Amino acid sequence: MSIFCIGVNYKTTRIEARERLAISEHSVPAHLGTICNLKGVNEAVVLSTCNRVEIYGGGEDPVVALDSLKAYLESYFQVRSGEVDFYRHQQEAAANHLFEVAGGLDSMVLGETEIFGQVKKAYMIAQKVGSTARQMNKLFQQSFTVGKLVRSNTSIQQGSTSVGSAAVDLAEKIFGSLEGCSVMIIGAGEMSRVTAQSLVSRGARSIIVSNRSYDKAAELAAELNGEAVRFDDWESKLDFVDIVISSTAAPHTVVQAFPIRRAMARRRGRSLFLIDIAVPRDIEDGVNVLDNVYLYNIDQLQQIASEGKARRERQLVICRDVIAAFLREKGIDALAPLPPDRVRHQDTEQNRTDSPGSGQPLTEP
Amino acid sequence: MDLIYLILATLTFGGGFALAVASLRREEGRRHGLGIPLAVVGLVFQLLFLRERGALHGRCPITSGAEVLVFVSWSIVVFYLILGRAFRLSLLGLFSMPIVFLLQVIAIALLLFSDPGARPPARLDVWLEMHASTSLLAYGAFGLAGIAGVMYLVQDRQLKSRQLGRLFYSMPPIRYLMSALERLLWIGSLLLTVGIVAAFWMDVRPNATHLFIYSFVWLVYIALIIVHALRRLVSRRFALYVIGAFVIALVSLSALSL
Repeated sequence: MSIFCIGVNYKTTRIEARERLAISEHSVPAHLGTICNLKGVNEAVVLSTCNRVEIYGGGEDPVVALDSLKAYLESYFQVRSGEVDFYRHQQEAAANHLFEVAGGLDSMVLGETEIFGQVKKAYMIAQKVGSTARQMNKLFQQSFTVGKLVRSNTSIQQGSTSVGSAAVDLAEKIFGSLEGCSVMIIGAGEMSRVTAQSLVSRGARSIIVSNRSYDKAAELAAELNGEAVRFDDWESKLDFVDIVISSTAAPHTVVQAFPIRRAMARRRGRSLFLIDIAVPRDIEDGVNVLDNVYLYNIDQLQQIASEGKARRERQLVICRDVIAAFLREKGIDALAPLPPDRVRHQDTEQNRTDSPGSGQPLTEP
Repeated sequence: MDLIYLILATLTFGGGFALAVASLRREEGRRHGLGIPLAVVGLVFQLLFLRERGALHGRCPITSGAEVLVFVSWSIVVFYLILGRAFRLSLLGLFSMPIVFLLQVIAIALLLFSDPGARPPARLDVWLEMHASTSLLAYGAFGLAGIAGVMYLVQDRQLKSRQLGRLFYSMPPIRYLMSALERLLWIGSLLLTVGIVAAFWMDVRPNATHLFIYSFVWLVYIALIIVHALRRLVSRRFALYVIGAFVIALVSLSALSL
């Protein structure tokens, strides 16, 4: 009995091809039913996200199984042979690949955590339709353990990877929890919207939008469930907000030091985080010297994001060591089937204890 | 035996600091995770030392400079374990440990070179014990406030300069640091108030020098609290003054130990 994996991801295949191969969540059970009847495939899990479509399986002969899976995918999605370059992994390489996926090491944003939930969900669906048995149960349980190990033993999640996440991380280093923080957007551009959404996703509330065109401000405010204010009135709101995002197209400075200094005197020591993502810059650089005022422009945020990415890249080596050590310790043998006389008992036990996310390393008893 | 306990406590705090620094320098996300356990182990050794000294004197063991320093170190660790956990300021331990280590190294030197030995009281005065112990506990709170002030300045500097070093991601948000600092000043001031008031109930007349020093330190901190509450001081300067106030308090300890 072997484990294997076939698939495509954002590294190997362009988005046009991935779109064609994407398997929607509601169609996964039907696919699993078919896949488990393919030659050489005894059990299977389908993982389909924006960045990857992968099928993990267990069976007698991995070569036969992988060939039949490839043929199935090409035929079902009407892909000409050779048009898509499927990667194929067997045994330890397949396990290693899943562990890297669950740990976020194979993700577009290195170390992101969303994939962990997607792997769990893929396994739950497969378990629900009965397409998993001993090997997939063990493999996926182990992937959850490894995913957690990677995150707790390294700083793969540490450091921002985009301008939006850099802004959020900085805000959290100033205010702690963003819940209850209010945000003002000056200039209803796309970058402002994206950055504000990042802050809202982490709990920020009371979005105030101000723009030269009031209609555009009202439109963005409605989208963000906030309040639009006239461009002439934004200064009066400075007393009440914690974070200001400015990205107007003005050729001159929009936010001068004087109104900020005046507002800070009324804010009774409350910090103010200013994010200037406009070029030319909107906010006078001198405001950064004011006490409790922190100003970052687009270059500085991008610099933080680049450093964050580089930092995560360096962590990749440590993460891979964690996975290698896990595989060395547990070994692929842990995924091998038990002798027939023990299978029945073990599978009964497995059904009782296997639950997605239990996080228990599964080893032979 | 008391000296051995003190040396063990000092080594524990020194080791904890070294481990924390090494962990931060390695750039591995995994912090050694021993900060709290090591602080607890160190605290146990401090307590064993204080128990031995208490048994020697038959009263609260704050009869000499060495004991005063250990008592203040002990209270810094206690406040760190209580407030550091509550405010999720785990890195406060990293900043506290070198101070505690340094104070205890001085205490060891004092014990080795000029241990006055047993100083049993003629008659146990509860108010005297309360006056001395609560006053020194207040010093522990002020010490930790000073440490939180250092952390505030470090984090503020990193944010202002936009140079986010390795320490940045491990440091708590500056709002939490300011909040911890304010609470520690309140706790310390309340304890010192109790200590000073207790002095007036003592059987003997309070030592005028001691009372003057405690009152001076109390006034410094009360002034800081009032000025901060009135927002007459910017946060950075407030943090700086809190550090300065603790240096004054530390210097006053040497006068108290005379």
